[in-house]
Amino acid sequence: MNGINADIEIRLKQRAGEKSSKLKLMDVFYAELGCLKRIAAGFGLSASDGEDVLQDVSIKVLERSGENRTHQEYIRWLTKVTINRCLTEHRRRRSYYRQTHEILKRRAETKTKPNRTDEKVINAEELEIVRQSMQKLDDSLLGPVVLRYFCDLNSKEVGEILGLKASTVRSRLREARLILAKRLLERGVGP
Amino acid sequence: MEKSCEKIEEMLVDYADGQLSTRDSKKVAEHLEKCEHCRKILGALHKSLELTGVIWADGLAETKDIRAPIPLKHRKIPWSGYAAGAACIILLLTTSIVWRALIRPAEKEINFADIERSITEAGNAARLLAATELLAEYPDAQTIVKQQYRYIVETYPETTAANKAKLKIQ
Repeated sequence: MNGINADIEIRLKQRAGEKSSKLKLMDVFYAELGCLKRIAAGFGLSASDGEDVLQDVSIKVLERSGENRTHQEYIRWLTKVTINRCLTEHRRRRSYYRQTHEILKRRAETKTKPNRTDEKVINAEELEIVRQSMQKLDDSLLGPVVLRYFCDLNSKEVGEILGLKASTVRSRLREARLILAKRLLERGVGP
Repeated sequence: MEKSCEKIEEMLVDYADGQLSTRDSKKVAEHLEKCEHCRKILGALHKSLELTGVIWADGLAETKDIRAPIPLKHRKIPWSGYAAGAACIILLLTTSIVWRALIRPAEKEINFADIERSITEAGNAARLLAATELLAEYPDAQTIVKQQYRYIVETYPETTAANKAKLKIQ
Protein backbone atom coordinates (compact mmCIF):
# COMPACT_ATOMS: atom_id res chain seq x y z
CA MET A 1 0.00 0.00 0.00
CA ASN A 2 2.82 2.36 0.98
CA GLY A 3 4.61 1.50 -2.24
CA ILE A 4 1.54 2.45 -4.30
CA ASN A 5 1.15 5.71 -2.41
CA ALA A 6 4.80 6.52 -2.92
CA ASP A 7 4.44 5.79 -6.65
CA ILE A 8 1.40 8.08 -6.91
CA GLU A 9 3.25 10.77 -5.00
CA ILE A 10 6.23 10.56 -7.36
CA ARG A 11 3.94 10.82 -10.39
CA LEU A 12 2.15 13.81 -8.91
CA LYS A 13 5.47 15.49 -8.22
CA GLN A 14 6.59 14.78 -11.78
CA ARG A 15 3.40 16.32 -13.12
CA ALA A 16 3.77 19.36 -10.88
CA GLY A 17 7.38 19.65 -12.03
CA GLU A 18 6.32 19.57 -15.68
CA LYS A 19 3.76 22.27 -15.09
CA SER A 20 6.12 24.54 -13.19
CA SER A 21 8.88 24.15 -15.81
CA LYS A 22 6.39 25.08 -18.55
CA LEU A 23 5.47 28.21 -16.69
CA LYS A 24 9.07 28.92 -15.92
CA LEU A 25 10.32 28.89 -19.52
CA MET A 26 7.57 31.28 -20.63
CA ASP A 27 8.27 33.44 -17.60
CA VAL A 28 11.96 33.55 -18.49
CA PHE A 29 11.01 34.47 -22.06
CA TYR A 30 8.96 37.45 -20.93
CA ALA A 31 11.57 38.45 -18.36
CA GLU A 32 14.30 38.38 -21.03
CA LEU A 33 12.18 40.08 -23.68
CA GLY A 34 14.12 43.33 -23.38
CA CYS A 35 17.40 41.50 -23.95
CA LEU A 36 15.96 39.59 -26.91
CA LYS A 37 14.71 42.85 -28.43
CA ARG A 38 18.21 44.21 -28.00
CA ILE A 39 19.62 41.28 -29.97
CA ALA A 40 17.10 41.94 -32.77
CA ALA A 41 18.15 45.59 -32.76
CA GLY A 42 21.83 44.56 -32.80
CA PHE A 43 21.23 42.57 -35.95
CA GLY A 44 19.70 45.68 -37.52
CA LEU A 45 16.23 44.23 -37.98
CA SER A 46 13.19 46.39 -38.50
CA ALA A 47 10.49 46.49 -35.81
CA SER A 48 8.21 44.21 -37.83
CA ASP A 49 11.00 41.70 -38.56
CA GLY A 50 11.99 41.80 -34.91
CA GLU A 51 8.40 41.13 -33.94
CA ASP A 52 8.29 38.13 -36.30
CA VAL A 53 11.50 36.80 -34.80
CA LEU A 54 10.20 37.08 -31.24
CA GLN A 55 6.89 35.49 -32.23
CA ASP A 56 8.78 32.51 -33.67
CA VAL A 57 10.92 32.30 -30.55
CA SER A 58 7.79 32.29 -28.36
CA ILE A 59 6.44 29.33 -30.36
CA LYS A 60 9.72 27.48 -29.84
CA VAL A 61 9.41 28.26 -26.14
CA LEU A 62 6.04 26.52 -26.09
CA GLU A 63 7.43 23.53 -27.99
CA ARG A 64 10.34 23.17 -25.58
CA SER A 65 8.45 24.00 -22.40
CA GLY A 66 8.47 20.38 -21.25
CA GLU A 67 12.24 20.31 -20.89
CA ASN A 68 13.87 20.63 -17.55
CA ARG A 69 16.63 23.23 -17.55
CA THR A 70 18.22 25.65 -15.16
CA HIS A 71 17.43 29.35 -15.36
CA GLN A 72 20.81 30.10 -16.94
CA GLU A 73 20.35 27.32 -19.48
CA TYR A 74 16.97 28.76 -20.41
CA ILE A 75 18.48 32.20 -20.97
CA ARG A 76 21.32 30.75 -23.03
CA TRP A 77 18.90 28.70 -25.10
CA LEU A 78 16.58 31.68 -25.67
CA THR A 79 19.51 33.86 -26.74
CA LYS A 80 20.80 31.20 -29.10
CA VAL A 81 17.39 30.63 -30.70
CA THR A 82 16.88 34.38 -31.11
CA ILE A 83 20.32 34.84 -32.66
CA ASN A 84 19.77 31.99 -35.13
CA ARG A 85 16.44 33.46 -36.12
CA CYS A 86 17.97 36.94 -36.45
CA LEU A 87 20.75 35.51 -38.62
CA THR A 88 18.15 33.99 -40.93
CA GLU A 89 16.66 37.45 -41.36
CA HIS A 90 20.13 38.95 -41.78
CA ARG A 91 20.87 36.49 -44.61
CA ARG A 92 17.87 37.90 -46.44
CA ARG A 93 19.77 41.18 -46.37
CA ARG A 94 17.01 43.11 -44.78
CA SER A 95 19.23 44.05 -41.86
CA TYR A 96 20.69 47.50 -41.29
CA TYR A 97 18.28 48.87 -43.86
CA ARG A 98 17.78 52.22 -42.14
CA GLN A 99 19.23 55.05 -44.14
CA THR A 100 22.08 57.02 -42.59
CA HIS A 101 20.34 60.38 -42.87
CA GLU A 102 17.31 58.94 -41.06
CA ILE A 103 19.50 57.59 -38.27
CA LEU A 104 21.17 60.97 -37.83
CA LYS A 105 17.86 62.81 -37.97
CA ARG A 106 16.31 60.59 -35.32
CA ARG A 107 19.44 60.88 -33.23
CA ALA A 108 19.29 64.67 -33.40
CA GLU A 109 15.62 64.63 -32.43
CA THR A 110 15.97 62.31 -29.47
CA LYS A 111 19.09 63.78 -27.87
CA THR A 112 18.73 66.54 -25.36
CA LYS A 113 20.56 69.78 -26.00
CA PRO A 114 23.09 69.74 -23.11
CA ASN A 115 24.36 66.29 -24.19
CA ARG A 116 24.67 67.28 -27.81
CA THR A 117 27.31 69.88 -27.05
CA ASP A 118 29.52 67.26 -25.43
CA GLU A 119 29.06 64.72 -28.20
CA LYS A 120 31.33 64.19 -31.14
CA VAL A 121 29.80 65.12 -34.44
CA ILE A 122 28.81 62.02 -36.37
CA ASN A 123 29.86 62.13 -39.97
CA ALA A 124 27.16 60.78 -42.29
CA GLU A 125 29.68 59.34 -44.74
CA GLU A 126 31.54 57.45 -42.02
CA LEU A 127 28.28 56.15 -40.59
CA GLU A 128 27.22 54.93 -44.01
CA ILE A 129 30.51 53.05 -44.48
CA VAL A 130 30.06 51.28 -41.14
CA ARG A 131 26.38 50.56 -41.88
CA GLN A 132 27.29 48.93 -45.19
CA SER A 133 30.16 47.03 -43.57
CA MET A 134 27.81 45.66 -40.91
CA GLN A 135 25.38 44.64 -43.62
CA LYS A 136 28.13 42.68 -45.40
CA LEU A 137 29.69 41.19 -42.29
CA ASP A 138 29.74 37.40 -42.29
CA ASP A 139 27.20 35.59 -40.09
CA SER A 140 29.97 33.90 -38.10
CA LEU A 141 31.37 37.32 -37.16
CA LEU A 142 28.17 39.30 -36.68
CA GLY A 143 26.77 37.16 -33.84
CA PRO A 144 29.85 37.48 -31.61
CA VAL A 145 30.11 41.24 -32.33
CA VAL A 146 26.50 41.92 -31.36
CA LEU A 147 26.67 39.82 -28.20
CA ARG A 148 30.05 41.16 -27.09
CA TYR A 149 29.71 44.85 -27.85
CA PHE A 150 25.97 45.47 -27.81
CA CYS A 151 24.76 42.94 -25.25
CA ASP A 152 27.88 43.40 -23.08
CA LEU A 153 28.65 39.71 -22.70
CA ASN A 154 32.21 38.51 -22.29
CA SER A 155 33.91 36.12 -24.68
CA LYS A 156 33.22 33.12 -22.48
CA GLU A 157 29.50 33.89 -22.25
CA VAL A 158 29.33 34.53 -25.99
CA GLY A 159 31.06 31.20 -26.57
CA GLU A 160 28.59 29.37 -24.34
CA ILE A 161 25.65 30.80 -26.28
CA LEU A 162 27.08 30.21 -29.73
CA GLY A 163 28.71 26.88 -28.90
CA LEU A 164 32.23 28.20 -29.49
CA LYS A 165 35.42 28.28 -27.47
CA ALA A 166 36.21 31.63 -25.84
CA SER A 167 39.43 31.78 -27.86
CA THR A 168 37.44 31.30 -31.10
CA VAL A 169 35.10 34.08 -30.07
CA ARG A 170 38.05 36.39 -29.42
CA SER A 171 39.63 35.63 -32.78
CA ARG A 172 36.29 36.27 -34.55
CA LEU A 173 35.88 39.53 -32.69
CA ARG A 174 39.36 40.58 -33.73
CA GLU A 175 38.61 39.70 -37.33
CA ALA A 176 35.28 41.54 -37.36
CA ARG A 177 36.65 44.67 -35.67
CA LEU A 178 39.62 44.84 -38.02
CA ILE A 179 37.34 44.45 -41.06
CA LEU A 180 35.18 47.37 -39.91
CA ALA A 181 38.21 49.53 -39.05
CA LYS A 182 40.04 48.79 -42.29
CA ARG A 183 36.98 49.57 -44.40
CA LEU A 184 36.90 52.99 -42.83
CA LEU A 185 40.60 53.48 -43.55
CA GLU A 186 40.23 52.19 -47.13
CA ARG A 187 37.60 54.86 -47.76
CA GLY A 188 40.00 57.50 -46.53
CA VAL A 189 38.38 58.05 -43.16
CA GLY A 190 40.98 58.75 -40.53
CA PRO A 191 40.68 58.60 -36.78
CA MET B 1 53.66 47.50 -42.95
CA GLU B 2 56.47 46.17 -40.83
CA LYS B 3 56.60 42.59 -39.63
CA SER B 4 56.26 43.74 -36.04
CA CYS B 5 53.04 45.57 -37.04
CA GLU B 6 51.41 42.24 -37.97
CA LYS B 7 51.95 40.93 -34.44
CA ILE B 8 50.77 44.19 -32.87
CA GLU B 9 47.71 44.30 -35.12
CA GLU B 10 46.61 40.96 -33.72
CA MET B 11 46.65 42.49 -30.26
CA LEU B 12 45.15 45.84 -31.17
CA VAL B 13 41.50 44.84 -30.71
CA ASP B 14 42.19 43.41 -27.26
CA TYR B 15 44.27 46.50 -26.50
CA ALA B 16 41.38 48.76 -27.55
CA ASP B 17 39.01 46.73 -25.38
CA GLY B 18 41.41 46.78 -22.43
CA GLN B 19 41.69 42.99 -22.46
CA LEU B 20 45.45 42.69 -22.70
CA SER B 21 47.79 41.81 -19.88
CA THR B 22 49.86 44.66 -18.46
CA ARG B 23 52.96 43.34 -20.21
CA ASP B 24 51.35 43.05 -23.63
CA SER B 25 49.58 46.34 -23.17
CA LYS B 26 52.87 48.09 -22.49
CA LYS B 27 54.40 46.42 -25.54
CA VAL B 28 51.57 47.67 -27.79
CA ALA B 29 51.71 51.18 -26.30
CA GLU B 30 55.46 51.38 -27.03
CA HIS B 31 54.86 50.28 -30.60
CA LEU B 32 52.06 52.78 -31.09
CA GLU B 33 54.31 55.65 -30.10
CA LYS B 34 56.51 55.08 -33.11
CA CYS B 35 54.05 53.55 -35.65
CA GLU B 36 51.53 55.80 -37.36
CA HIS B 37 49.97 52.91 -39.30
CA CYS B 38 48.98 51.06 -36.13
CA ARG B 39 47.80 54.31 -34.53
CA LYS B 40 45.47 54.82 -37.50
CA ILE B 41 44.12 51.30 -37.14
CA LEU B 42 43.55 51.83 -33.43
CA GLY B 43 41.74 55.08 -34.13
CA ALA B 44 39.61 53.37 -36.79
CA LEU B 45 38.82 50.55 -34.34
CA HIS B 46 37.48 53.07 -31.84
CA LYS B 47 35.60 55.04 -34.49
CA SER B 48 33.99 51.99 -36.12
CA LEU B 49 32.75 50.73 -32.76
CA GLU B 50 31.44 54.18 -31.88
CA LEU B 51 29.55 54.38 -35.20
CA THR B 52 28.25 50.83 -34.82
CA GLY B 53 26.92 51.92 -31.44
CA VAL B 54 25.01 54.73 -33.14
CA ILE B 55 23.40 52.25 -35.56
CA TRP B 56 22.56 49.87 -32.73
CA ALA B 57 21.09 52.66 -30.60
CA ASP B 58 18.86 53.66 -33.50
CA GLY B 59 17.74 50.04 -33.92
CA LEU B 60 17.10 49.74 -30.20
CA ALA B 61 14.86 52.81 -30.26
CA GLU B 62 12.82 51.10 -32.95
CA THR B 63 12.54 47.81 -31.09
CA LYS B 64 10.72 49.61 -28.27
CA ASP B 65 7.71 49.51 -30.58
CA ILE B 66 7.83 45.73 -30.76
CA ARG B 67 4.82 44.29 -29.01
CA ALA B 68 5.27 41.41 -26.64
CA PRO B 69 4.38 38.32 -28.65
CA ILE B 70 1.29 36.41 -27.71
CA PRO B 71 2.32 32.78 -28.10
CA LEU B 72 0.09 30.79 -30.41
CA LYS B 73 -0.83 27.63 -28.62
CA HIS B 74 -0.98 24.41 -30.57
CA ARG B 75 -4.23 23.32 -29.07
CA LYS B 76 -6.07 20.13 -29.85
CA ILE B 77 -9.48 20.91 -31.27
CA PRO B 78 -12.06 19.54 -28.79
CA TRP B 79 -14.23 17.87 -31.44
CA SER B 80 -16.31 15.98 -28.85
CA GLY B 81 -17.16 19.27 -27.14
CA TYR B 82 -18.14 20.91 -30.43
CA ALA B 83 -20.27 17.87 -31.37
CA ALA B 84 -22.08 17.94 -28.01
CA GLY B 85 -22.76 21.66 -28.43
CA ALA B 86 -24.08 21.21 -31.97
CA ALA B 87 -26.34 18.32 -30.83
CA CYS B 88 -27.76 20.49 -28.04
CA ILE B 89 -28.54 23.31 -30.47
CA ILE B 90 -30.25 20.94 -32.95
CA LEU B 91 -32.30 19.34 -30.13
CA LEU B 92 -33.37 22.76 -28.87
CA LEU B 93 -34.41 23.92 -32.33
CA THR B 94 -36.37 20.73 -33.05
CA THR B 95 -38.21 20.94 -29.70
CA SER B 96 -39.03 24.56 -30.34
CA ILE B 97 -40.46 23.84 -33.81
CA VAL B 98 -42.53 20.87 -32.57
CA TRP B 99 -43.86 22.86 -29.61
CA ARG B 100 -44.87 25.74 -31.86
CA ALA B 101 -46.65 23.34 -34.20
CA LEU B 102 -48.51 21.33 -31.54
CA ILE B 103 -49.08 23.48 -28.49
CA ARG B 104 -49.25 27.03 -29.67
CA PRO B 105 -52.57 27.98 -31.36
CA ALA B 106 -52.30 29.02 -34.92
CA GLU B 107 -52.71 32.72 -35.24
CA LYS B 108 -55.11 33.89 -37.88
CA GLU B 109 -53.36 36.08 -40.30
CA ILE B 110 -55.21 39.24 -41.24
CA ASN B 111 -55.11 39.97 -44.92
CA PHE B 112 -56.40 42.83 -47.06
CA ALA B 113 -59.53 40.96 -48.25
CA ASP B 114 -60.68 40.44 -44.62
CA ILE B 115 -60.21 44.10 -43.83
CA GLU B 116 -62.13 45.07 -46.97
CA ARG B 117 -64.94 42.67 -46.07
CA SER B 118 -65.22 44.07 -42.53
CA ILE B 119 -65.45 47.63 -43.85
CA THR B 120 -68.13 46.65 -46.38
CA GLU B 121 -70.17 44.82 -43.72
CA ALA B 122 -69.90 47.76 -41.32
CA GLY B 123 -71.03 50.11 -44.07
CA ASN B 124 -73.95 47.93 -45.11
CA ALA B 125 -75.07 47.50 -41.50
CA ALA B 126 -74.83 51.25 -40.87
CA ARG B 127 -76.89 52.04 -43.97
CA LEU B 128 -79.52 49.45 -43.01
CA LEU B 129 -79.64 50.78 -39.46
CA ALA B 130 -80.12 54.37 -40.69
CA ALA B 131 -82.93 53.30 -43.00
CA THR B 132 -84.59 51.28 -40.21
CA GLU B 133 -84.41 54.23 -37.82
CA LEU B 134 -86.17 56.41 -40.43
CA LEU B 135 -88.81 53.71 -40.82
CA ALA B 136 -89.26 53.53 -37.03
CA GLU B 137 -90.79 57.00 -37.10
CA TYR B 138 -93.89 55.51 -38.70
CA PRO B 139 -96.11 53.74 -36.08
CA ASP B 140 -97.55 51.31 -38.67
CA ALA B 141 -94.14 49.93 -39.57
CA GLN B 142 -93.06 48.72 -36.11
CA THR B 143 -93.22 45.01 -37.02
CA ILE B 144 -91.01 45.50 -40.08
CA VAL B 145 -88.65 47.69 -38.06
CA LYS B 146 -88.13 44.91 -35.49
CA GLN B 147 -87.51 42.38 -38.25
CA GLN B 148 -84.96 44.77 -39.77
CA TYR B 149 -83.12 45.19 -36.46
CA ARG B 150 -82.97 41.40 -36.01
CA TYR B 151 -81.70 41.05 -39.56
CA ILE B 152 -78.88 43.53 -38.83
CA VAL B 153 -77.93 41.70 -35.60
CA GLU B 154 -77.93 38.27 -37.30
CA THR B 155 -76.30 39.27 -40.58
CA TYR B 156 -73.68 41.72 -39.33
CA PRO B 157 -73.12 40.57 -35.72
CA GLU B 158 -69.64 42.13 -35.26
CA THR B 159 -70.53 45.61 -36.36
CA THR B 160 -71.35 48.72 -34.34
CA ALA B 161 -74.68 48.93 -36.10
CA ALA B 162 -75.55 45.41 -34.84
CA ASN B 163 -74.85 46.50 -31.26
CA LYS B 164 -77.13 49.52 -31.66
CA ALA B 165 -79.81 47.30 -33.25
CA LYS B 166 -79.59 44.95 -30.25
CA LEU B 167 -80.33 47.87 -27.93
CA LYS B 168 -83.37 48.89 -30.04
CA ILE B 169 -84.82 45.35 -29.87
CA GLN B 170 -84.45 45.24 -26.06
